[in-house]
Amino acid sequence: MPRLMDIGLEKLRNMVLDMAELSQNTVSTAIDAYVQGRDLRERIFGWSEELRMLQDEVSELAVEIIARYQPVASDLRFIKSCMEVSYGFSRFGRYAHDISDVIGIFGDLSNCDRHAIQEAGAQAKDMIRVSIKAFTERDVELASNLKKMDDVVDNIYLDFVKKSAHETEANLKCVVSGTLILRYLERIADHATYVGETVPYIVSGERAARK
Amino acid sequence: MVVAIVPLASILVEVIRNGLSTMNLQFITGLPGVPGETVGGIAPAIQGTLLLIGLTCVIGIPSGVLAGIYLAEFGNNKFGKAIRFLNDVLSEFPSIVVGILISVLLVVATHQYSPVAGAVALSVITLPIVTRTTEESIKTVPNSLRDAAMALGIRRWRTTISVVISTARSGIITGILLSIARISGETAPLILTILGSNFFFSAWNQPIDALPLRIFHDAFQADPFTRQQAWGAALVLIIIVLTLNVGVRLATRGRYSSSRTRL
Amino acid sequence: MTSQVQLEELKLESKPLTPANQPLEKYKVRTENLNAWFGNNHVLKDISIGFLTNDVTAIIGPSGCGKSTLIRCLNRMHELVPGARTKGSVLLDDSDIYGRGVDPVSVRRRVGMVFQKPNPFPTMSVYDNVAAGLKLNGVRNHVVLDKAVQRSLEQAFLWDEVRTDLDKSGSSLSGGQQQRLCIARALAVEPEIILMDEPCSALDPIATAKIEELIASLKEQYTVGIVTHNMQQAARVSDFTAFLYLGQLIEYGETTNLFENPKEQLTERYLTGKFG
Repeated sequence: MPRLMDIGLEKLRNMVLDMAELSQNTVSTAIDAYVQGRDLRERIFGWSEELRMLQDEVSELAVEIIARYQPVASDLRFIKSCMEVSYGFSRFGRYAHDISDVIGIFGDLSNCDRHAIQEAGAQAKDMIRVSIKAFTERDVELASNLKKMDDVVDNIYLDFVKKSAHETEANLKCVVSGTLILRYLERIADHATYVGETVPYIVSGERAARK
Repeated sequence: MVVAIVPLASILVEVIRNGLSTMNLQFITGLPGVPGETVGGIAPAIQGTLLLIGLTCVIGIPSGVLAGIYLAEFGNNKFGKAIRFLNDVLSEFPSIVVGILISVLLVVATHQYSPVAGAVALSVITLPIVTRTTEESIKTVPNSLRDAAMALGIRRWRTTISVVISTARSGIITGILLSIARISGETAPLILTILGSNFFFSAWNQPIDALPLRIFHDAFQADPFTRQQAWGAALVLIIIVLTLNVGVRLATRGRYSSSRTRL
Repeated sequence: MTSQVQLEELKLESKPLTPANQPLEKYKVRTENLNAWFGNNHVLKDISIGFLTNDVTAIIGPSGCGKSTLIRCLNRMHELVPGARTKGSVLLDDSDIYGRGVDPVSVRRRVGMVFQKPNPFPTMSVYDNVAAGLKLNGVRNHVVLDKAVQRSLEQAFLWDEVRTDLDKSGSSLSGGQQQRLCIARALAVEPEIILMDEPCSALDPIATAKIEELIASLKEQYTVGIVTHNMQQAARVSDFTAFLYLGQLIEYGETTNLFENPKEQLTERYLTGKFG
């Protein structure tokens, strides 16, 4: 027999899943835009803004459910996780916005070596996909893969920075834009792991150790 | 309601109408006169009734109250059931039968009428009434009070006395007063045990008078003055009974004010 | 009823003491394999549980799970019901209250109890109600009694409201005040443990809140055990919570942990309202 709270929880879940899909598209679009050299800033800014507003709505609904129904145990853990995860999705939107901003500021970057960014971008997109799937299906094992995937992105970023540090003659535009974008991708990857960490928490109350 | 009031009202009206004229100091304090005289009182009868009530209170009431307490608090077993049954049977006994029984046991055996025999007969009538009303009153005390007292570490007997009985006391007193009102008017058992007399109490082995007997006796006299005395006696008896009943009302009203137990 | 079947499927036994792996001395009162019956009805099955000293322990569970029976075994009130019996030990400061030669009355003086419906003695004043436990046990000294009454009423957060009306009948107070009066009455005999059987179920929310504050203050001096069917109340007032179901101890732990992350499926289902 459904409980009163179940209506609210269902709504919360749907809002979070909507945000998931939207943030995934936003990030993909931003990365692809960079790779293809297209300027899709307006579209991406719009989506990012929408994500921010959705996050506010999720937060409000979560607080309302808590105040009304005083949930405990798995319900409470789920609601808390929804709040954290929706924040993560709104960050995806924000970083996608920042990536397309770089394109806007720096203009034509087709001369730069975009290999690192393409690799990191693909990994980040994949991580978003995995984290959303793990959250939706409460798949703890799937979520546990995210840590390794995050290490890959971290290494790409660090390698790029180290390489640039020792470069004697470098294209300033390429280095700065590359660093910025890789930094944003690294943050996206981090947030994807945070989304993944909520899965064992919802299922069994386990919390991941903070680095 | 009207059906209930009409007989009551008519009795009261008749008794008051006929009995009021006899009311004077001589009536209350004087001895019965000789037939043909126009002076006389029913003082011995009043004294006798009060004496009998007093003796019954000493003999019958305490045993009834104790029996009621026992049955209510500790009587949830076969023994208790048996006692309750016997009690109910006893309460159904016609009072004349009780009178005969006590008469045989105490009067015939000792060859004398006595106030004690009368009081014993009345006690036997009172006992089942008081036992039952006491038991009922105590049963109305909610178990939560007993629980609260026991949980404080108060012993069982102390709980029964200071909490249970004290809470039930107005019900118990009501029962006692009502049973006394009832026996004030019993006539049959008195005929065979105290006989009746024209004189005040003189010794424990002599007959005494009582109001119901006086009424019974005087009502059949040829002499009109004496018959009039019967009405007066009836009035006095009714006054006593009514006073006891009003007393009950006052006693139970006190339950709702802030009456305190002195522990 | 599926939950009955599931209980058997899960093959649950009563769990032993679990909270915080405390050494046994830290428990003010604890049971060892406590069983209780009403006639042939086996209502408590092998319960081993303890209340830590100066903490509030809540016992929750659906109706009929044995919570009231459990606390009534702790002050030997259970045996007052005809046909009731117990087996197993209850250790108060490490000595068994069901041991040979132990006087149940002395146990009840150390373990106080407050009931669901406020039950002040109707023929006694406020003063006499609070003093009843002392007076009816032979204490006559007025100075001692006056002090005890004031102290208890203060501890029960009732002194200011009744100090000028100590002679008024106990029943003339409001429901919430009556319950605090009953708490004061229990405190007057200076027990070591206070047990409360759903103390707020008959009260309005404001009176309930007052009593919950009172419970929080009592634990400084006493050990408190509270039975409640209101989970949120258990979450608000207690340090440890035990979940009973059909006479068995299903889970027992620190309140925050139990409510955020219960270990047992059954507890999870009860807390989230998935069964009664």
